[in-house]
Amino acid sequence: MGKIIVEVCVGTHCTMMGAMNIIDSIHSLEEIQRELDEDFCEVEVRATPCRKLCGGEVNGPFVKIDGEEIQSAENEGVMAAIMSRCRSKNL
Amino acid sequence: MRGLFTPVTKIRRQVFTEVAKFAFERPLDGEDFAYFYESSYRIIPGEVAKYRDSVFKERAIIRERTRLAMGLDMRPVGRHKNLTDEMSRAATGEKVLNLPLINVIPFACEACPTDKFEVTDNCRKCLAHPCTTVCPVNAISMGKTAAVIDHSKCIKCNRCLNACPYHAIVRYGRPCAEACGANAIGSDELGRAEIDQEKCVSCGLCITSCPFAAIADKSEIFQLVTAIRKKEEVFAAVAPSFVGQFGPLATPGKILAGIRALGISKVIEVGWGADVGSLHEAEEFLEQVPEHRDFLGTSCCPSWAMFAEKNFPEISENIAKTHTPMVAAAKRIKKERPNAKVVFIGPCVSKKIEALNDEIRPYVDYVITFEELMGLFSAKRIELNELEEEEFESQSSRDGRNYAMAGGVADAVVNVAKSIAPEREVQVMRADTLKECRKILTLAKAGKAKGCLLEGMACPGGCVGGPGTLLQIARAEKEVKAFADTSPYMTATDNPLEGLT
Ligand code: SF4
Ligand code: FES
Repeated sequence: MGKIIVEVCVGTHCTMMGAMNIIDSIHSLEEIQRELDEDFCEVEVRATPCRKLCGGEVNGPFVKIDGEEIQSAENEGVMAAIMSRCRSKNL
Repeated sequence: MRGLFTPVTKIRRQVFTEVAKFAFERPLDGEDFAYFYESSYRIIPGEVAKYRDSVFKERAIIRERTRLAMGLDMRPVGRHKNLTDEMSRAATGEKVLNLPLINVIPFACEACPTDKFEVTDNCRKCLAHPCTTVCPVNAISMGKTAAVIDHSKCIKCNRCLNACPYHAIVRYGRPCAEACGANAIGSDELGRAEIDQEKCVSCGLCITSCPFAAIADKSEIFQLVTAIRKKEEVFAAVAPSFVGQFGPLATPGKILAGIRALGISKVIEVGWGADVGSLHEAEEFLEQVPEHRDFLGTSCCPSWAMFAEKNFPEISENIAKTHTPMVAAAKRIKKERPNAKVVFIGPCVSKKIEALNDEIRPYVDYVITFEELMGLFSAKRIELNELEEEEFESQSSRDGRNYAMAGGVADAVVNVAKSIAPEREVQVMRADTLKECRKILTLAKAGKAKGCLLEGMACPGGCVGGPGTLLQIARAEKEVKAFADTSPYMTATDNPLEGLT
């Protein structure tokens, strides 16, 4: 079982654009995994300070999943990326 | 959609940030508002509609939201008026906010049906069709492919819905009207939501519940920033639910520093005013209840107090006349700094109405929400995490800080009462959301609240569930409690309540 590291920027801009809700939805995956009785991998969520990616053309929130950057992250995209990563790790 | 970040939330916050940016960056004596012609394009770029059927409509909605965020009225839909009309009037450090505070943007409203039963695709036109059998008014018949409900007969008893083995019948209503505990939402001639201002008590729950972002309140960020830029001395009074609202790295001390970095001279805890309120209300309770008054209602939530007054006039005398914590805190500031401006920062839309009251006006200059404050931080590019922590100079007690949560107000008052009269047993009845408040007020009216302290809060979970918050309720509660426990004083009685220095 692998561990997935998700870094969610919680700087001003990213928080305003919904970073905290993304963190909530990542935590909510634990419940689903329990309900589905699926072998899940551990997900570690790190709330990180502003990485100065904001303020330009691209909007936050900025989220990194195992180092892979997602811009303008949304709950659904982040959850789906984690789910598919988990599943492939468990194969 | 409280507690969920949706495109509705995003748009609202983008508008605040747009207005705040302009407020901070415009030439102070300038009268050029052309910036706002571009705003709607910055928020809704391109030619393809993202949220609705048309990109033009999306932008049109942004434009009305922008006016509201500047504290102005919307424009009439059927008559010409320039977007920037009256903006120069809004460009002042004085209060411009007027009624109506909460507005339905008519063309953004999708005219959702009001409480209707519908048969969905799930219907298999089964042989048994128990829906018809249980209907007491014979409103359901079997159509060609599915059951059909005759809406003119339907009495909304729910029976068919419960009887259908395929869950094919749904009842749906207007999210705004369902959220409104004051039954203030009706329809205009085009079937769109319309707020009955006589009934509305400005709790603001409709704003967060409309999935089409059709309802918005006015904001005072533009006037606040203008006052700051004009070098006025501005004090902020921050409601106890602020803890945790700005992300996990923004500790209370950093939030405080952030507010000051906006150009605000001093920040005090509204919890301090809550302590003052608890002392008054405990005294009032011990003196009056049950000999002179059946029960006493707390006074800190203006929507609850207004709701009682409008709907239960016979007993509204029993709601304490104590100032809300906001007003107590603001009075203290104005007493020592008569020329300072006071901004209340909280989760609350209701306080915006309270501050329009002639009696309160002299003390509270602006009311803004946490969400609006976030827009200011973002516009001024303040990274809370990078600031040095600061400390509140006079602190509120643990109980005062717990005012942010349902139950916290009554606890605070009871704790003071206990310290004055340990032998007295104080019974508490409490409710959050106006729907629940209606229930306890009905009981009270029937004489079933004798000797009780009644705590009412308009928002779910209390102020931590207010429409101007950013954090999910359960988490907010945890944060508030943790911060409350760091206070050197447990109850209002322990607080020396020192003045400003
Ligand atoms: S419960 Fe609190 S936030 Fe909500 S209306 Fe009342 S005072 Fe305002
Ligand atoms: S706030 Fe997330 S990168 Fe700046």
